[in-house]
Amino acid sequence: MDFKLTEEQELVKQNMREFAQKYVDPIAAEIDESGRFPAEVVAKLGEMGYMGMPYPVQYGGAGTDYLTYALAVEELSKSCAATGFTMSVHTSLALGPINNFGSEEQKKKFLPPLCQGKHLGAFALTEPGAGTDVSAATTTAVLDGDEYVLNGTKTFTSNGPVADTFVTFAWTDKSAGSKGMSAFIVPKDASGLRVGEHFMKMGIRASQTSEIIFKDCRIPKANLLGGEGSGMKIAMNCFDHGRIGIAAQAVGIAQAAMEESIAYAKERVQFGKPISKQQAVQWWIADMATDIDCARFLYMRAAWLKDQGLPFTKEASMAKVFGAEMCMKHSIKAVQIHGGYGYIKGQKVERLMRDAKITEIYEGTSEAQRMVIANNMLR
Amino acid sequence: MPDILCCYKWVADEAYIRSGSGGDLDLSMADYKISDYDKNAIEEAVLLAEQHGGTAAVITVGLPDDTKGIKDALSRGPEKAYFINDPAFVDLEPAQTASLLAAAIASPIPYDIIICGEGSSDLYAQQVGPRLAEKLGIPCLCYVQKVELNGSELIAHRKSDEGLEVVKVSLPVLLTVVPDINNPRLPGLRDTLAAGKKPVVEFTAEDLPSIDTAALATTATKAATIKRNSRLFDADAAGIEELVQELKNSGAIA
Ligand SMILES: Cc1cc2nc3c(=O)[nH]c(=O)nc-3n(C[C@H](O)[C@H](O)[C@H](O)COP(=O)(O)OP(=O)(O)OC[C@H]3O[C@@H](n4cnc5c(N)ncnc54)[C@H](O)[C@@H]3O)c2cc1C
Repeated sequence: MDFKLTEEQELVKQNMREFAQKYVDPIAAEIDESGRFPAEVVAKLGEMGYMGMPYPVQYGGAGTDYLTYALAVEELSKSCAATGFTMSVHTSLALGPINNFGSEEQKKKFLPPLCQGKHLGAFALTEPGAGTDVSAATTTAVLDGDEYVLNGTKTFTSNGPVADTFVTFAWTDKSAGSKGMSAFIVPKDASGLRVGEHFMKMGIRASQTSEIIFKDCRIPKANLLGGEGSGMKIAMNCFDHGRIGIAAQAVGIAQAAMEESIAYAKERVQFGKPISKQQAVQWWIADMATDIDCARFLYMRAAWLKDQGLPFTKEASMAKVFGAEMCMKHSIKAVQIHGGYGYIKGQKVERLMRDAKITEIYEGTSEAQRMVIANNMLR
Repeated sequence: MPDILCCYKWVADEAYIRSGSGGDLDLSMADYKISDYDKNAIEEAVLLAEQHGGTAAVITVGLPDDTKGIKDALSRGPEKAYFINDPAFVDLEPAQTASLLAAAIASPIPYDIIICGEGSSDLYAQQVGPRLAEKLGIPCLCYVQKVELNGSELIAHRKSDEGLEVVKVSLPVLLTVVPDINNPRLPGLRDTLAAGKKPVVEFTAEDLPSIDTAALATTATKAATIKRNSRLFDADAAGIEELVQELKNSGAIA
């Protein structure tokens, strides 16, 4: 048993922290307020090698393990959850399926610009009628000569309006049940692809979320990912490792909430002494620190299992549900520690509390995580 | 094509130093980092090597466990590290550190320019640079904020209380640099991952002549304490008069 990170992992964490302090902290409040996409920061992340961390060097990645990548997501999310999520949805959900299921040709063609951050990726699975229940999707793909023709509407696609490359899912054979769904790589300039409604959100406002509409959208047959019928398997595989990223994001948000709370509690004087001298506040901080450590160890374990080539589906779901729920709980407490000031725009904890909520919803709701865990426990 | 050698110190990050119950410094939570000004020294060495060809290497004296610092330093651009380490090298005095550096450099390590930070961000004694130059018998220019290199001639702009001093020297030379000289780069991910693959030459106490015993005895290192004598003055003419008088009495104003 060894709780020590490698020197490289520690240095990556330290450098990402410095990156975030230099480039992200100064704009985090502004992009939250305006909902502006921080394209300049994402480009810089690409330049610094952070947009394809866990993928092989031969495809433009940095070849790190998954744990190192998750540590970087935590550090970035601590400064801005939206930017952290942009990196993680791109890395886990768009690059992941191409790396894990793509042919050699597909990897050579699509991964290098994505890994270098010159292209941004998105993952379009959810549909208006198909959220937790993926099988309720209605998007179809029909082979016509050398092309697939896609029809359907995807919703809540993160990076949707700014992505260059989409991984999407459609039925190629509805009668085949879960074996009838297929995954596709769709470039943004494919004819018949349109960005639909652009959503205004409660939190992670600088992350761009939209509908993606396929109307007789034609893509080369060569863009089929992993063979017809493997869509559901690919989606579930994406979620397994994607959830580690969301768990790390949740830990980053909670860590920021705790650090803000500690600093504020030591400074805010009521009844003649700092509120940090009140036992009630001390216990809140103690609980925050304990839960954050638990959540961090859970995501680190899931990442470690993945890096060892061991099963990690249940552990990733545990990390995600525990991390998300503790993040929500403690970001609310952080606002409470700040009293009225915590409710006012400009206090970081106000943003953190809004950002926290999404971690309980996307890449599988907390309920969906419990289904995964229970299925594993009751098998 | 100059060979540039840069000295750095691996120090406790002051952000994590707590003050212990007895007013002493509690380093148990401390993370370590490259001393702030030494980051400027490394950056300048790498910039000069990039502009003029030649090589940039780092050298440090530390404990055998301080290997993360080597990777950190190498991720910032130098191509090689010299690591003088021994479990006995705890709280070395500047004179001892300078002796070890000088002995290793004389072993020999090639150099035309040696760059140090103006002082370390822990003790800030500002002695290692000048002492090392003295031991090597080369000129030393401190507090340099700009360097121009033309072949074997170097022009240094030195910051001083009186203003700016522009000095011309022939190589070899030792410089200590101030933070204004450059903006240290943030290593990219690939630089960090590649750092562990760069060559590291080690020296232990056995490889070098023994150093003088410490000349200074440190009796204690205490956290700075600030005593406030909070006194309230009324916000009227009399109160202001009283405040001014009080400040004069305490010597805060003349
Ligand atoms: C900001 C944002 C970004 C997103 N990004 C992406 C993206 O990039 N790509 C993508 O494909 N999707 C994305 N999503 C979609 C997200 O993954 C879904 O919203 C999520 O899976 C839930 O689906 P739903 O919204 O349809 O809720 P529903 O599935 O309708 O769920 C509603 C409620 O019912 C509960 N529920 C549903 N079924 C069960 C059950 N069987 N047992 C118990 N409880 C159940 C849910 O847990 C939830 O509480 C994003 C969503 C948001 C808000």
